[in-house]
Amino acid sequence: MRRYRLNSPFGRRTALGLLGAGLAAPFIRPAAAQAAWPEVTSIPDALKGTGEVRIATFGGTMQETQQKAYFEPFEKLSGIKVRAFPGSDPTKVKAMVETGNVEWDMAQLSRGSIMNLQKHGDYFEKIDYDLVDSGVDAAYRFEYGLEMLVWAQVLAYRTDTFKGAVPKGWADFWDTKKFPGDRAMVGTSAGGWPEMEFALMAAGVPPEKVYPIDIDKAFESYDKIKKDVVKWWDTGAVPIQLLTDREVVMTTVWNGRMAALQAAGVPGAISWSQGLLKRDAWGIPKGAKNKVNAMKFAAYSTMAIPQARVALGIPYGSVNNKSNEYIPAERLQVLPSAPAIKAQLVNYNYDWWIDNREAVVNRFNKWLLS
Amino acid sequence: MAGAGRGASVSLTDLEKSYDRVAAVAGVSLDIRSGEFLTLLGPSGSGKTTTLMMIAGFEMPTAGDIAIDAKSVVAMPPYRRNIGMVFQNYALFPHLTVAENIGFPLKQRGVAKAERAKLVGEALELVHLPGYGERYPRQLSGGQQQRVALARAIVFKPRLLLMDEPLGALDKQLRENLQLEMRRLHADLGITFIYVTHDQEEALTMSDRIAVMNEGLVAQVGRPEDLYDRPSSRFVAGFIGESNFLPAIVRGIEDDVVVAECDGALLRALCPGRMSPSPLAAGEKVMLTTRPERLRFADGAWHSPSSSGAPQNRLSVTVTEAVFAGERCRYMLQAGDGTAMVLKEPSSAAIRRRAVGEQAEIAWSVADTILV
Amino acid sequence: MNMSGRDARGPKNLVPLLLAAPLLLFMLAFYALPVVTMLMRSVSDPAWSLSHYAALPDDAVFQKVFLNTLYTSVIVTLGTLLLGYPVALALVRTRRWAPVILILILLPFWTSVLVRSYAWMVLMGRHGLINEALLAAGLLERPLRILNTPLATQIAMIHILLPYMILPIANALRQIDPSLARAASGLGATPWRTFRQVILPLSMPGVAAGVLLVFVLALGFYITPAMVGGPREITLSMLIAQQVDQLNWGYAATLSAVLLATALAIIAACYRLPGIGNAFRMNTR
Repeated sequence: MRRYRLNSPFGRRTALGLLGAGLAAPFIRPAAAQAAWPEVTSIPDALKGTGEVRIATFGGTMQETQQKAYFEPFEKLSGIKVRAFPGSDPTKVKAMVETGNVEWDMAQLSRGSIMNLQKHGDYFEKIDYDLVDSGVDAAYRFEYGLEMLVWAQVLAYRTDTFKGAVPKGWADFWDTKKFPGDRAMVGTSAGGWPEMEFALMAAGVPPEKVYPIDIDKAFESYDKIKKDVVKWWDTGAVPIQLLTDREVVMTTVWNGRMAALQAAGVPGAISWSQGLLKRDAWGIPKGAKNKVNAMKFAAYSTMAIPQARVALGIPYGSVNNKSNEYIPAERLQVLPSAPAIKAQLVNYNYDWWIDNREAVVNRFNKWLLS
Repeated sequence: MAGAGRGASVSLTDLEKSYDRVAAVAGVSLDIRSGEFLTLLGPSGSGKTTTLMMIAGFEMPTAGDIAIDAKSVVAMPPYRRNIGMVFQNYALFPHLTVAENIGFPLKQRGVAKAERAKLVGEALELVHLPGYGERYPRQLSGGQQQRVALARAIVFKPRLLLMDEPLGALDKQLRENLQLEMRRLHADLGITFIYVTHDQEEALTMSDRIAVMNEGLVAQVGRPEDLYDRPSSRFVAGFIGESNFLPAIVRGIEDDVVVAECDGALLRALCPGRMSPSPLAAGEKVMLTTRPERLRFADGAWHSPSSSGAPQNRLSVTVTEAVFAGERCRYMLQAGDGTAMVLKEPSSAAIRRRAVGEQAEIAWSVADTILV
Repeated sequence: MNMSGRDARGPKNLVPLLLAAPLLLFMLAFYALPVVTMLMRSVSDPAWSLSHYAALPDDAVFQKVFLNTLYTSVIVTLGTLLLGYPVALALVRTRRWAPVILILILLPFWTSVLVRSYAWMVLMGRHGLINEALLAAGLLERPLRILNTPLATQIAMIHILLPYMILPIANALRQIDPSLARAASGLGATPWRTFRQVILPLSMPGVAAGVLLVFVLALGFYITPAMVGGPREITLSMLIAQQVDQLNWGYAATLSAVLLATALAIIAACYRLPGIGNAFRMNTR
């Protein structure tokens, strides 16, 4: 551990995150500066308070957007000071809770991370759903976390390589005759979750029958694309760089990252078909000093307008049904939560993954090295 | 080959070396004969080491030529010159044993292992270190290291051996022993030695000839006794041994002897530094020099052997200081014109010792008076 | 050489120990303690047993990753040695260019890993400078794959680790008495033989120190292989990070213990080589 710090003053994830931020930041600001955003003018007294709340985020452009979308307004309306820290990480939550030195009142994680950790012990507070807005669907609520961001893991490609042909779905991604060129997909080196669903759909499994995942079948399918994958990526900046530098012609991406690439004038597009709909969630570490404030903030941030403001700043979707009223139609077209797009996506099944992740990752390691 | 003997002849012609336009060696011409022990003597910065390094090939001359056995070696890299060299700090290879150090030049010359071992053994005998072959240099004393360096420099039987202040780091006792050994070695081997030192006593004891260097030039070359008895310049007179300097004015020339006036007395002097005394004109200011041990009190009981019958110079002086130093007495004298002089007299209970303030008449041989 | 130096190390002289005490305490509190805690996990997480260690001989993934890590370290060590030794020699030989060379050597130290990563991508990419130049020169028909291969990892790591090889070697070379080279030359050794028989052996302590540093540092590399390496490249550090992330902390601790033990074993082996242990002691001035 000590050794790699010699190479970099940052942790790896921070370093890679900065790489992405550096790439994206210059191009995202104009979008954020567009037309006036909807404002929240008042909040229920139940969400007001004193003191502070310390929030761990994934940093970068996402945190910049969050700052403007709901950290600042919440401070003004509630009287609670928000302090945001980049570098959210479930393993840090584990260490903090175990050592009793909990430095975050709330962390942006995934339902998978939260429930996976919860499987090993009691690391999170229960969510107080009395405070949460009714516009948040039951699908986004779970005992130890509240989902607060909808995004998609999708196919992206360079539009200048296939003479106008448009890849649709994973069979096309696997078809290197029709769409020749190198590929990139998610690997497991830094805690990635392999894209077993894509492998299955490439093998002809219909989207609604993906879960429960047939692990053997998925790896059989993976075998067919292995030699064409030049990079198994582990953080969102990498596929964007690979597409930009023409290292690959097709890759899986986090949808939000593509806006920066397109804004930079790189000929790239998303193919939403058969993508995975994923969510980030707020989790409150067990024993957090300001857990009451954290709860209030979680409730505020999932209200319709704060959710809409995020979607205006960065192309990620909302968990609140009423948010779409505040989002212009043309903006809605690029959000994974837009009805037309959502219909093409497969809802990511965190529950299946919580039970099977370790086995899949270990098998993936073995498969990759064989 | 030009050199018939076992030693190489070396000839330097107008040799120059400058660093950033500052001349370290400013035009040295010198012929070193086969089998000779020649010492380059001079103060630090006189160019003696630079001259040696150019002969060895570690420095490239800015101008001039170096010929070994009448063949120019200027363009030849050091490893082809076949010259033995002993460095001031010995420069023994610390990672090699004594035997490997001595065998090093043989190995470079492709001498077979068995032959090498035999020659190394002989060389160790020669420097009185038999049985030391397996040791490492750091396990030896300074004197022993110097012997190893010497053995290494001669084991391949070079015709020329260069030594750069090889005894500089050793104490006096050891130095004197090694001086004798080097003389013996020189006699045994019969090869040419070029030896650099700033120690005039060492130079006088060991050398066949000495080249005194000053400011990048050779001030005088000659046998030790020539340099001592007939220094050609004030620098040589001052650098080798102790000298008195008497300012004088030329009054006339008698054959090869100059007559000059000093403090009202007429002194006669030889002038070996000049081709002939003829360029000297009457009235010219000159400097005469003489050695303290060659002066004596004219009324003294003791007479130096050289004084009997030979022409003498005389001068009146006052004793300003008297020091008894065991084997001899040392007097500081002052002439009427203020010139300070030193007189050294062998001590003897039979000789009256002079007191400070006493007036005296001193005398010395004309042959010991040199115009410089 | 200096005998008084050895005397000062007598048992009665506590001054060096006292001088080092603050650092020792600091290291104990902030390094040794966490390391021990971490190592304890390898036998205590999830329950007290040696099962993590017992499983290693049958762990094919671990073995492949471990061998790949060792292999990369060996290649990188050889690469830095071959490229670094001549640079060290140049650094010591030239007086005028030494500062320039030194700055060029140290530049990677001052450059962030991100800037360097970008630089490598720009250089080694499919459409990067190297490929474009070779294509333009007509030496290639199709671009070479350099980026995202093990070769890219090796190139990048060699670049990062070069200073760790050059500086100890230069230090050793600088300590060699210049008259030794002259003596060798005067005794009939050609420049190559002087190098081979005198300079090279005398610089071995520096070479050993450089090899040790580079090899041990290379064992722990993590960011670089992930960023520029090939699709099937997993280093031990990457595997550890992955297992930490999966909350298999006991297994991750076991892997860390293996990494630490490997590094220590290599240091111990180097220390015992004749002459080199001494050299380390000599060089600590």
